[in-house]
Amino acid sequence: MSPRRASRLEDGTLLGYAMLAPAVVLVGILILLPLAYSVVLSLYDWKLLEMNRPKKWTGLGNYWKLITDDGLHNAFINTVIFMVGAVTVELVLGFIIALAVFHMTQGRRLANAIILLPMVITPVITALLWRYMLDPQFGIVAQVMTALGGHGGIDVWGSSMLALPGLMLVDVWQWTPFAILILHAGMLGISEEQFEAAAVDGAGYLRVAFSIILPAIIPQVLIVLLFRSMDTYRIFDTVFVLTRGGPGVSTDTLGLFTFRNGFSYLQMGYAMALSVFLLATVGLISAVYIRLLRRRGML
Amino acid sequence: MSARAVGGSNTRAWQIASYGMVLFFLAWVLIPICTVTLNSFKPATAIFTTTPDFAFVPTLEHYANIWAKGNFARQFLNSTIVAVGTAILALGFGTPAAYALTRLPVHGAERWFRAFLLARMVPAVSLVVPLFILLQLAGLKNTLPGLILTHTGFTLPLVVWMMRSFFQDVPRELEEAAVVDGASRWLTFWRVALPLTLPGLAATAVLVVFFSWNEFLFALVLTGPQMQTVPIGVSAFVGTVSVDWGGSSAAAVLAMIPMFVLGLLIQRFLVSGLAMGAVKG
Repeated sequence: MSPRRASRLEDGTLLGYAMLAPAVVLVGILILLPLAYSVVLSLYDWKLLEMNRPKKWTGLGNYWKLITDDGLHNAFINTVIFMVGAVTVELVLGFIIALAVFHMTQGRRLANAIILLPMVITPVITALLWRYMLDPQFGIVAQVMTALGGHGGIDVWGSSMLALPGLMLVDVWQWTPFAILILHAGMLGISEEQFEAAAVDGAGYLRVAFSIILPAIIPQVLIVLLFRSMDTYRIFDTVFVLTRGGPGVSTDTLGLFTFRNGFSYLQMGYAMALSVFLLATVGLISAVYIRLLRRRGML
Repeated sequence: MSARAVGGSNTRAWQIASYGMVLFFLAWVLIPICTVTLNSFKPATAIFTTTPDFAFVPTLEHYANIWAKGNFARQFLNSTIVAVGTAILALGFGTPAAYALTRLPVHGAERWFRAFLLARMVPAVSLVVPLFILLQLAGLKNTLPGLILTHTGFTLPLVVWMMRSFFQDVPRELEEAAVVDGASRWLTFWRVALPLTLPGLAATAVLVVFFSWNEFLFALVLTGPQMQTVPIGVSAFVGTVSVDWGGSSAAAVLAMIPMFVLGLLIQRFLVSGLAMGAVKG
């Protein structure tokens, strides 16, 4: 054995690659390979039930269809409305509540424990909870409205006007806690001296919140934005369970639209093209945030 | 009083307002959870009323029903097997990789690391069709190992991210001392670094379990009737025209309890975990 190889063994280079390789291979097989496969399949015209028949080459045909598809335009607009609406509310409400928790002198641990509950509930069960809450006859919202002398509840999931805001409400319920916990963690990292300086200057509550706390937690704000934007943009479970895109196409989203083209209409080549589109746009959204985070030395 | 409670004469008013807002938020979080829990103990006559009914005789019939039907018990078992299997695989592969990228002289470690982050951002919908085909070719469609594999692919990048930040917190001197004492690099990892990151390892495992237990899309597409997991079982209650409120509520409660317990156990690490170590400290 050459002395050079012996020293490599000693300094752990070989061990390093041996420890890294299995994970890289697994991610390669389970993420990269399917991804490459879907890019190839997006160039063909084929149906799921015809897996053994030769596929028809269409080149960029599926992508051309994608540009001119009204269904996709509708799903894209719904998705962007859902993303912007839900993420804005989650961030603003998250900041307000995180600030309130930060100012508590007692019971903060208990509050945090309760706040994290929605995040660990399966989205499907969250959907079920809100189906019950908003049931037009037996739901608690309807019951309260009746008790107050109203005519009972409104069928949120059956209304093409209210279904999308209803889905936002569900997302806000489940994920505002994420914003609260991350922003609160950021606030805990601010040094006491900054607050003391502000106290000496006689700064009021709002002044401290917006001139000291908010600028100090911009990295945490960006992290909340990155994760919530990515996740709301590719939302699937909650919509699938609560509305299936309806009534009509009023709550159709990109994730649902892609899924439906593949598994209901069996247009696999087209579904693959939509997948590539979804991936590319998610990449674009995250690239913007990652650039902002890196500029602040967070990545 | 801590320096953060600033604000001169209006401090006290803001304090009260803070408690008020937090209490409102906690009520908003708890009411849906309590409603479904109450429903699961209500006889049908008490569920289907148009006015709130709290004067009901609690019953366990819904729990008995869903358990007797067997589907839910089976789904619960499936979910447990998949979540535990995924955690073992993802940690088994991801932890050594994280250590290699943190402490061992791997060329371009930063770049490998960023590649894992990119893998984490791939939307599930983009992968479900090709994985459907690949698993079918491999004979793993509609099997629990097949589902475990797909969940592992999705959680491995998260494990690498979290474990790296935990390994970075291990004092370098401890490992160097072990190497000077003649321990191999592997032994240093196994006997020194790994034991010191046990809390981090546990938190990471719990996050992987959350992901796998809650995952819907792959479980929906890749499993048939026998291999269904809890979220698929619960979604069957919601999709139909006449919803079985009592049964679905009982199923929901049973599915939530293990996650609540795990969540509260690792609460301390959950925040850093959710942000993948990026907001630590």
